[in-house]
Amino acid sequence: MTMNRFALTLTTLFLVGCGSEKDASDALPVIDNTAEVLAFYDAHADFFRERSIEELPENLVWEDGADLPEVGSADAKKGGTEYVRLADFPRTLRTVGPDSNGSFRPWILDNTSMAMAHRHPETLDYFPGLALRWAVDTGSKSVFVELDPKATWSDGVPITADDYRFTFWFYRTRYITAPWYNNWYESQYTGITKYSDHLISISIPELKPDTDSKVLELRPLPQHFYKEVGEDFLERYQWRFAPTSAAYILKDEDLKKGRSVRLTRDQNWWAADKKHWRYRFNVDHVNLTVIRDNAKVFEAFKRGDIDQFGLDLAEFWYEKLPETDPDVAAGYIEKKWFFNERPRPPYGLWINTHQGLLADQNIRLGIQHATHWQLVIDQFFRGDYSRLKTANDGYGPYSHPDIKARDFDIERAMAYFQAAGFNQRGPDGILERGDGTRLAFTVSSGYESLKDVLTILKEEAAKAGLEFRVEVLDATAGWKKVQEKQHDIHFSAFGYSLELYPRFWETFHSDNAYDKAFLDNGAVNPDRKPKPQTNNLETLAIQQMDESIIQYRAESNGDAMVALAHQMSELHHEFASFVPGFYSGFFRTGHWRWIRYPSNFSYKHASGSREYFVHWVDQDIKAETLAAKDSGTTFPPQIKVFDQYRETP
Amino acid sequence: MFNVNPQTQKKLDRFRKIKLGYYSFIVLSSILALLAAAELLVNSRALVVQYEDTLYFPTYSDFHPGTDFGLDYTYETNYRDLATHFKQTQSSNWVLMPMVPYNPYENDATNAIMRPEAPNSDRQHYLGTDTTSRDILARLVYGTRTALLFAFAFMASVYFIGIVIGCAMGYFGGLFDLGFQRIIEIWSNIPFLYMVIIVFSVIPAEASIPARISLLLLVMVLFSWTSMTYYMRTETYKEKSRDYVAAARIIGASTRRIIFTHILPNVLSTLVTFMPFTIVSAIAAITALDFLGFGLPVPTPSLGELLKQGTANLRTAPWIVTSAFGTLVLILSLVTFIGEAIRESFDPKQFTLYR
Repeated sequence: MTMNRFALTLTTLFLVGCGSEKDASDALPVIDNTAEVLAFYDAHADFFRERSIEELPENLVWEDGADLPEVGSADAKKGGTEYVRLADFPRTLRTVGPDSNGSFRPWILDNTSMAMAHRHPETLDYFPGLALRWAVDTGSKSVFVELDPKATWSDGVPITADDYRFTFWFYRTRYITAPWYNNWYESQYTGITKYSDHLISISIPELKPDTDSKVLELRPLPQHFYKEVGEDFLERYQWRFAPTSAAYILKDEDLKKGRSVRLTRDQNWWAADKKHWRYRFNVDHVNLTVIRDNAKVFEAFKRGDIDQFGLDLAEFWYEKLPETDPDVAAGYIEKKWFFNERPRPPYGLWINTHQGLLADQNIRLGIQHATHWQLVIDQFFRGDYSRLKTANDGYGPYSHPDIKARDFDIERAMAYFQAAGFNQRGPDGILERGDGTRLAFTVSSGYESLKDVLTILKEEAAKAGLEFRVEVLDATAGWKKVQEKQHDIHFSAFGYSLELYPRFWETFHSDNAYDKAFLDNGAVNPDRKPKPQTNNLETLAIQQMDESIIQYRAESNGDAMVALAHQMSELHHEFASFVPGFYSGFFRTGHWRWIRYPSNFSYKHASGSREYFVHWVDQDIKAETLAAKDSGTTFPPQIKVFDQYRETP
Repeated sequence: MFNVNPQTQKKLDRFRKIKLGYYSFIVLSSILALLAAAELLVNSRALVVQYEDTLYFPTYSDFHPGTDFGLDYTYETNYRDLATHFKQTQSSNWVLMPMVPYNPYENDATNAIMRPEAPNSDRQHYLGTDTTSRDILARLVYGTRTALLFAFAFMASVYFIGIVIGCAMGYFGGLFDLGFQRIIEIWSNIPFLYMVIIVFSVIPAEASIPARISLLLLVMVLFSWTSMTYYMRTETYKEKSRDYVAAARIIGASTRRIIFTHILPNVLSTLVTFMPFTIVSAIAAITALDFLGFGLPVPTPSLGELLKQGTANLRTAPWIVTSAFGTLVLILSLVTFIGEAIRESFDPKQFTLYR
């Protein structure tokens, strides 16, 4: 007995000492949190409710999205391997917690795993995923969902109501070290009710025009896999691949640390024959190889080592892979340009109105007229991109129809600067005030690849007597700087997901600008301090805006929300603390001939060609193309522009 | 004219006889002289403007708004446009532009599209333009000037500190030597690159470009002087035990005299041997730091930044990488040739019976 224990300890030591991190996490003592989870349910009985099926409200109007058109093409062939570049090796296989939100996560979560229902990329209505059908009950502010009983995790365990209940426990524990998730799941939902193993309802605090989206886009977690979640969650789950509802799984032997990851199409995937899913995720293996340098990626693509390459940047579309490129002209590589319609990331200058001179509206208005975005768009982006109008473009009726960004106009800029007291040009042409203050601001950015944009703006702003000191930081340092509100002016954008209407609270509410923006009597608090770690990059605090935001959040009527959104956009425009930059109304891709796409290529609301996994690898065409390359046979060149959703400027 | 010590005269003569080194020296000196006057050769400001019977020399003066020359804008005059304007209006005014009429910052896009363009003497882009249509020659000239200035300042500082401390350690020896050795060992184990990254992350953005460059220099010097002390220390130790030093001491020469007139000239050859390598490594270091994005702030012209652009556009714009790489090779070879020749001619061992 003693001997045995000694041997066991030795083995454990050996595993801990010599094994990889994965082995180390396997060697941790097994724990079971089931009792803890149940105790949590009991302690929050008003949130985690159980009802019998007889208590289900009557007169529910069920929807199932079954009539929505298929996603993908019936011509799609299964099989083959796609070779893809990965910018950085994933630092963890967890999908939550520190380091998890990297460029790899979309492959195992965002773009591949299933929610209860998904927005159709063409119509924005919901088509079913893990749900069979659903119903919104306005009275109880709940969405009722009947789950597809066929749904299983990739390890064969059925997906049931308990997994959804567990998901709420999981995202609310402190073990996962993810405060945003903690806050979201505590504040945005008011309860989950289990009626049976395959019938649940989830309630939210306020009704919205898109109440259903809050619930239907939830993705459950496998409770049986996460039963070891505890204090050491981060280490324990660092390299464990969770059973998934997605078509792609990751086998242990396919993870080559620091080099590559290979995803395999699950042959037993439960949704393989389900409508809206059957023509997608066609490729059998996805080989993701780490190539850090973008110039190198392009060379790898040209060699055929990777199959597709994003051509969004003008230099790639026009210079590095022009129509005259031998591989394009011979039809081996195809070029696609697809115009889409979706919320636009607001690229522009975010002015920190808390910083000295920038609190002066005249200075801000001057800056608006002194930044020559049109030149950047015309000459640097070659006219492909368009000028952004507001910080919330691309939300259909919710975006303001009439506001336009202010034009580059030296005279007007200088008039505004003059009104702020800057009336003389110094020896280098930069405006100065009577007391010798120069009109100079730091423009920081975390976008190394867009540093030339700032250089161009700097040159042009100097004409209006304004100096921009360009500071290009690495992405993390740049973001840290704005999050600590240390910036003067920051060049950045937010990634917006596909939502019906814009959010204002995060960026414009005074709660996110200062610790206490206003005194109780409504006056400006003279001792207020900027609040770090929020997305209010302008330190914008206007009482009128706050009131509108609160109304907007509580409003359930679509038209009233549109009116409020317009009103807030106008107020924001007048305040002039954001200089709208540019947006790209399209995406562009180059791919080898054997990668096939549906005839319409992509979808109205898609953000990229690979997002919905509708492409496939045609192995016959691959063999044919490779043979043709050797023998010199050519095909008609394929350069296609899909502009049916092009926005008229 | 100069009253040169015959010993030194001999060394200089020897240097002159080593042809490769001597010509390299002349070429490098001319390059340095040209770079010092770069504003007169490569500049968007005119050398001379004659306007309404007045001569203007804008190169080194305050900026002239367009209104000074009858144009309708208040920002810096575009002298190239001014020249064409004068020509078109057939006025008696004229503009004399430098050889390369561009500054390293302005975007001069043909057909209003910014992209790298091949060398074109009609547009006076003699080495072409970079990815945002800036003149490569202009960026190269100003970038090289900064790099060379930086390298010489770096060498001077490192040598000064290294010689003083190394000599003192070698000459005084004992506890002083022991103590300083330990300090140096600890100091030289601080990773240099991390320090640069850390220091650069805390420099306020308001700092001007010269201030940033000086700070970079300071950090590099702080972490580079240690290696020099080792050589100096051993050499001084060696020389100190020689008979001529003992003789000097018996005569009653002061410590200062012994170090400066007797020991230093004898260890000079070691120092001189390292000089070109120090310069080369300084240029390489600042280029590498720039390449990695920790060097000079955007949009300061630099060799590293050009190399980076060049490697990213190897296929479509080979002229970027050729210019930057060619310049680096040229400068580094010149410095190496000169260094070899100096070592050859200044080695006092040529005239001794030792060794």
